[in-house]
Amino acid sequence: MTPAPVFAVVGHPNKGKSSVVATLSQNDAIAIALEPGTTRERQAYPLTVDDRVLYTLVDTPGFQRPRRVLQWLEAHSLSASDRAETVAAFVTQHRDDPRFHDECELLAPLIDGAGIIYVVDGSVPYSSEHEAEMTVLRWTGRPSLALINSIGPDDHSDAWQAALGQFFQVVRKFDAVRAPFDQHLSLLRAFGQLEPAWEQPLEQAVRFLASQREQRQARSAELIADALIAMMGWQEKNTLQIAAGGNDTGESLSETLRQRWYQHQRQREQQLRTAIEQLYQHTRIRRQEAELSWHSDHDLFSEDSREAWGVSRGYLATAGFGAGALGGAGIDAVTFGASLGTGALIGGLIGAAGSYFYGDRLRFPAVKLGPIRAGLQTATFGPVQDSQFGYVVLGRAVDHWWQISHRNHAGRDLLDLQPADSHWLEGLQRPYRQAIQKAFDRCRKRKEIDPAARADLVAAIGAVLTTYDDWRLNRT
Amino acid sequence: MPDPLLTLLLDFDDQVRRDQEQSPVFLHRRDRRFALDCAQQGLAPDPQHWLAHLHRLNPRPAVTGTDPRLLRWQLLGRGFALAGAVFGVLTMLGLLFYDGSQRINLTVILGFVALQLLFALATTVQAVAGWQPWGWLMAQLGRHDAPSSPALARLRPQLMARIAHTGGLLFGIAGLLTLLVLVVVQDLAFGWSTTLDTGAAGYHRLLGTIATPWHWLWPAAVPDLALVEATRFFRLQADSGTIGVSRWGDWWPFVTMTWLVYVIAPRLLLLLLARAHLQRQIRRTLAHHPGLTALQYRMETPALDTGNQRDDSHHQPDLTTASRATAVPAASVIIRWAGAEPPPQLASAPSLAAGGSATLAQDRQTQLDAAAELAAADSPAVILVTRGWEPPTGELADFLETARELWPGATRIALLPLAVEPGAALPDHQLSQWLRFSERRQDPLLQVATATGLTGSGSKTRGAAS
Repeated sequence: MTPAPVFAVVGHPNKGKSSVVATLSQNDAIAIALEPGTTRERQAYPLTVDDRVLYTLVDTPGFQRPRRVLQWLEAHSLSASDRAETVAAFVTQHRDDPRFHDECELLAPLIDGAGIIYVVDGSVPYSSEHEAEMTVLRWTGRPSLALINSIGPDDHSDAWQAALGQFFQVVRKFDAVRAPFDQHLSLLRAFGQLEPAWEQPLEQAVRFLASQREQRQARSAELIADALIAMMGWQEKNTLQIAAGGNDTGESLSETLRQRWYQHQRQREQQLRTAIEQLYQHTRIRRQEAELSWHSDHDLFSEDSREAWGVSRGYLATAGFGAGALGGAGIDAVTFGASLGTGALIGGLIGAAGSYFYGDRLRFPAVKLGPIRAGLQTATFGPVQDSQFGYVVLGRAVDHWWQISHRNHAGRDLLDLQPADSHWLEGLQRPYRQAIQKAFDRCRKRKEIDPAARADLVAAIGAVLTTYDDWRLNRT
Repeated sequence: MPDPLLTLLLDFDDQVRRDQEQSPVFLHRRDRRFALDCAQQGLAPDPQHWLAHLHRLNPRPAVTGTDPRLLRWQLLGRGFALAGAVFGVLTMLGLLFYDGSQRINLTVILGFVALQLLFALATTVQAVAGWQPWGWLMAQLGRHDAPSSPALARLRPQLMARIAHTGGLLFGIAGLLTLLVLVVVQDLAFGWSTTLDTGAAGYHRLLGTIATPWHWLWPAAVPDLALVEATRFFRLQADSGTIGVSRWGDWWPFVTMTWLVYVIAPRLLLLLLARAHLQRQIRRTLAHHPGLTALQYRMETPALDTGNQRDDSHHQPDLTTASRATAVPAASVIIRWAGAEPPPQLASAPSLAAGGSATLAQDRQTQLDAAAELAAADSPAVILVTRGWEPPTGELADFLETARELWPGATRIALLPLAVEPGAALPDHQLSQWLRFSERRQDPLLQVATATGLTGSGSKTRGAAS
């Protein structure tokens, strides 16, 4: 059986080797810093499918003394045919030499048959300083590909491309932090082109990764749907002992309930965010998100959120019509169609009118106080009766999903969840709007969402994700 | 009575809810492993095997007696059964109450049987349609209980129908036994009476129709016209208590068979139907369980590990920088490292090249030339101009180490890292890497200078800044 291909990611220090590995291996726990020597030992990151390795990326330290290595190689070689052996001899001889520790670490996988992924920073000018290390790499005789990464804002990639073309079989641009997922796959396909035997495993890997991404989107829709069902239907309940003559106890209970209801909703939203992040293997965003506490303007319950994520009256009216018509159709069913669809029409009009007139304000549930019995009073708060609440939660969740799903694992900057500046849900097809509105209506009436209704909501949220993705990509 | 299929559904539902705490990656790996093992062993990776596999690895304390999740339903079932039996006895005693003043009216019994049949059918219809008109009562009874499984909640109509039919069946059986006992121990006087304007012939036709199911089985249980005519009584008829007395007891076979066929048999059939319907609903609930869809996907889809298991985030380098950059000192020699071009203010000074594309021999020559210059200087100093955006490497460290051996001991060395744009200040993150490089060298005469504020002409190159 042919061994799985191995790719050693090599280059000058601080050019983004670890960033490339982090993005391709979807590992945000790889140490990345703009400091030479952050990576001191080579580290393998295999991509496995059911324990079968399809390929392995090896992160390596950067070259420290390439001219000395080249001088040694040239002094110990007779002809071009012995160059690979000479490189192996160099590693054997200097394995315990601390001065050449980094060179031995990066050359060792190449001697073992790894392909070369040479990373440079295209945002700084080309320097002939790199030629020594490129020459050393050429001496190994391994299939090679150069990646022009971009750490800074400037672009010197043309000069790099011209120079790298003289040393490497393939030269590609790849921004480890910002490259979209399609480019990840395209890059992996390019890896597979370096040697015929590597094409099949890399193609397989690409297929699995693409499938995994689709599944993640579908799973995200489920997670968001479940959170919406839970949040829209949540009711806070408490029973309190009423002291004799105490008038303000009811108000105190109401306030307690209100606070608990708000707290629960916020926790549930955070739970959803964590689940989405874990789904996309972003395990270190939570710490960064904690720093978002100053974003009080983007809080779930702020009026700004409603302005940003809520939907228009027109949207609510059309969604409400559909949901009401579904209810009204029941009348038609009972009359075996004798009402000629009048039930659906009336139901639709009632639904539309209700949504139109009552959907423009973020109304929160009132506290309902039960009767005092034996000195005990039970009060409830929720579920929220305003559909806009659901659309605010949905909008924020979808935006968070989009940010996470488009975030590369090399990214270390703060996750900034800014509100959208227009009502993107307007682009959603009507049946999906109605499915969402129907689910919201059932939740606020505390009716059970059966598996079929949940499946409809999940499908609608799936369409929402696609709509939002299109809207974001067309906007930017 | 334990129901293995229902227990399977509840176990599966519980496991799915427990799994919600686990990471999707772990679940995928676990279930894919199970599916691959099943494929090797030739087993079907169904929920039953899956649960057995998980329980084998995570043994749970054995549950003795009633499953706690079904305790409420068990109690409810027993309560209905007991109530059915008691009411069956009481009802039959009431129907057959005879104190000699008035005969037992067959029409009342037939009406009651019809009502029973109607109740039984209504129970079945509501279960099939999924109605829960008694849902509020269940909610009240269970308001202090822990929330039940959503899967179990969805089976309420079918579970309730099974319980109701069981109660109804015991009602019928208890009523039949009571009837037979009363037939033996009492002299029951049956008759028929109605306010409606109907004759004996019409009533006989009705009874004949009712008795159709058993007329071939037990002809004696089919009343003849003579019996019907002989046993009609009227409320105000004075001699109704004496006509055809000998035949008043002949009705009991008909009553027994009517009760058996129209009360007990329908209940039995509908109970069997309810059980079958419940089993079908359990299978359906399991088949449509969101957890099963997810499980099947996890088992069918290869587990993809992208290499994200390693966590070396705690190996971040120490980025603290103690030293600060200084101004450019007066220098005897300028060395251009790796092709860096000195700023215009230093352009007139003699400069030497090293690093980059230069060979190591050329580096050596540069060091020797610089040593000769520095030997003649009163306060020897070297400015080493570098490309600030390229990180300092081992080669520069080697160069400085060798230079320190060749140059006068008091030689001050200033590293001058430059920005990409001539004259621009070097970004902090690039400058700090040079400062940390200088700190690591532990050479008190090695410092990092910045070109910011560098002034003067070429004549000031030597000692331009303080």
